[in-house]
Amino acid sequence: MTNSLLFGIATFVYFFAMVLYVSYLAFRSEMLGKVASRSMLGGVVVETAAIGMRWYESYQMGIGRAPLTNLYESLAFFAWTFAVIYLVLERKFKIRTVGAFVAPFPFLIMAYAALNPNDIQPLVPALKSNWLISHVVSCFVGYAAFAVSFGVSILYLFKAGSEKRSPKSAGSFWDFLPSSSGLDEIGYKTIAIGFPLLTIGIVTGAFWANVAWGTYWSWDPKETWSLIVWLIYAAYLHARITRGWRGKRAAILSIVGFAATIFCYLGVNLILSGLHSYGSAS
Amino acid sequence: MSADEPVKTAKTEGTDWIATIWNFLTSLKLVVILLLILSALSIAGTVIEQNKPLQEYYRYYQPGTVALFSKLGLFDMYHSWWFVACLSLLALNITACTMDRYRGIMAGMRKRNLILDEKLSKSLQNLTTIRYALPLDAVEKKMVELAGKEFPGKPVVTAAEEGGSHYFFEKGKYSRLAFFMTHLSILIIFLGALIGSFFGYKGYVNIFEGETVSQVETRAGKIQNLNFQVKCNTFNAEFYASGMPMDYRSDLSILQNGKEVVRKTIRVNDPLTFEGVTFYQSSYGGQPDQVAIEAVSRDGSVKGTVTAPFGRVVDIPGMAEEVEAADYQEHFHLPDGSEGGRAVGVNIYPAKGGAPAGVWLLVNDPEYDKRRGGDTYFRVRDLKLKKYTGLQVNRDPGEILVWLGSILLIAGIMIAFFMSHKKLWISLRTDNKGRSELTIGGTANKNRDAFAREMEQMIQSLKEVS
Ligand code: HEM
Repeated sequence: MTNSLLFGIATFVYFFAMVLYVSYLAFRSEMLGKVASRSMLGGVVVETAAIGMRWYESYQMGIGRAPLTNLYESLAFFAWTFAVIYLVLERKFKIRTVGAFVAPFPFLIMAYAALNPNDIQPLVPALKSNWLISHVVSCFVGYAAFAVSFGVSILYLFKAGSEKRSPKSAGSFWDFLPSSSGLDEIGYKTIAIGFPLLTIGIVTGAFWANVAWGTYWSWDPKETWSLIVWLIYAAYLHARITRGWRGKRAAILSIVGFAATIFCYLGVNLILSGLHSYGSAS
Repeated sequence: MSADEPVKTAKTEGTDWIATIWNFLTSLKLVVILLLILSALSIAGTVIEQNKPLQEYYRYYQPGTVALFSKLGLFDMYHSWWFVACLSLLALNITACTMDRYRGIMAGMRKRNLILDEKLSKSLQNLTTIRYALPLDAVEKKMVELAGKEFPGKPVVTAAEEGGSHYFFEKGKYSRLAFFMTHLSILIIFLGALIGSFFGYKGYVNIFEGETVSQVETRAGKIQNLNFQVKCNTFNAEFYASGMPMDYRSDLSILQNGKEVVRKTIRVNDPLTFEGVTFYQSSYGGQPDQVAIEAVSRDGSVKGTVTAPFGRVVDIPGMAEEVEAADYQEHFHLPDGSEGGRAVGVNIYPAKGGAPAGVWLLVNDPEYDKRRGGDTYFRVRDLKLKKYTGLQVNRDPGEILVWLGSILLIAGIMIAFFMSHKKLWISLRTDNKGRSELTIGGTANKNRDAFAREMEQMIQSLKEVS
């Protein structure tokens, strides 16, 4: 299938971008940095074609559905949103140096996706819904924003530590990165993008569940975990308003929030059971 | 915070303990801790399976643990008193915070400081003065045009005592209401959920094709009468070649006084709502309608055949025994544990009277009954199933509030994050050397660094005016 080939190429391009971002940080050459960003963009372009192709091929098979419904497809889409969100933020906040820490994700996610079956299966009745796309897309763009915040927060902890140890060391590796207060601000802004999206994702999910099963909230593990994630980020947002909770504590909350996000996305399917079944093998 | 910003409502006066409770309830620390506690507690319910019959828990836990967990409400923890107490405290917290901030937010929306006076000037970080060789009215025209790009709408103009004018622009005043939208929406959702659980019901009903019902059984085990009747005209299930389900659909009619008022084919994801009651496609099944049973002798010759209506004892022509198709299983378990498919439970009444013998006949394995021994065995020649559709039936008068609250919540969060109340002050006058002098400064209540960039740009373009 053409889509598999394209996904394979996209994975390879993401790998290449990852190597370039790391080299950029190591050699600090602007040229390398530009090429790194371009390759990431190239990966996005190829993957966009792959997703479009998979969509098209599903119609050719007479199944006709958005490519967002099993673990393979959701991981591929996650890698795609992640790369897009990262590129947008890189442009907006000029944080290419962060790339070395964040750019490996699309490659790693795609590599993990490749371990899962990728045949195009028809949909069971519950998944045949117009709410599917809005629910999945808003959740995943939200997750991708949280992932970027996670990367930035980890970097914040290192950077803040290095600033504390040697406040004025010029030319050290860490100086190449944005200042800790800059990282703190970016960590917040990415969550400010992710939080409304996650809220939309939860509400559209509840609406869909109500149409499909007649309950908008049934406390099934997936729903509950999305609420847990939402509560943690709500706590983060309020914590930041109070003085003294910026910086380190906020960064830790962002890291905890992303750990919960990952559990919500993968852990619930692999470890717990519930209505959202795409983690199981069948 | 600038001089223009309203100060947080002063500490409540009154008796000390009231003030203490109020400050506790309105503190952001409480919010953060409460939100984190709620998320931590919620985890428990995803690890311990909820609302299973008690005997199932004994399979996983020690009896002592089951007793303890049961007492703590951990098997239905989202309705336990302590979880509900946390949610109530959150609702109280939100209510108190909203009341606490009400005056400040309203004050922030009022037009104050129409004039860039000395006190205000001191508090503005971006205060800039520009001098022009142009006449005052030419500067005014350009200035209003430039500022108008960022701040549509007419400025408030105040004539200055010493000549010239003060201009006050503002934008996004109502974005301050986002605080009420985000926080009250949560109370609205809670209210909707409460109304649903007190005044609504969730029920279940099976309707055979061609039959009509006017009652459903609720989850609480009560019989709920409907004000109308529901008829299932037909039910169909379709499958992909792989055996995966493709589509379930029921053709339903709503009848009132015997007349059809609504007809709709419902599917998963496409329910039918009538007078506030919604019918969801939920499951399906079948029950034998008629079973054609054959009595066969050991040598293979058919001794007699009868078509038995389900649940009725009938004679077999040419034989002394009577039979009754009394039971049915869609997935029969063979003694060795494997699946035997559809099976009909048949009672065979001996010719000389006495207790009947019960046997299971497999539809897909007609010779199954042969292994019972004896000179006659029975087999199913034909099975006519009566299909039924399984419908979930809901009435939830609070649902509309839940959706209203959700929309308010999303809108409120978007406004809170992406909009701000921006104010711009500009003063124009002629200085003592006869030049036109423009002083500009502005504030925003949020996203201050983005606003600072906007201001910088505006000041730059104002400087370029000539
Ligand atoms: C699940 C519950 C809650 C949610 C989802 C929520 C959501 C939000 C959001 C999205 C913001 C906007 C953040 C910003 O402007 O930067 C916010 C701000 C705020 N929240 Fe909450 N909130 C909740 C509970 C509470 C409670 C219980 C309080 C009471 C103490 C509270 C007090 C505040 C305050 C004081 C602000 C700052 C408003 C401002 O900057 O003008 N929140 N909240």
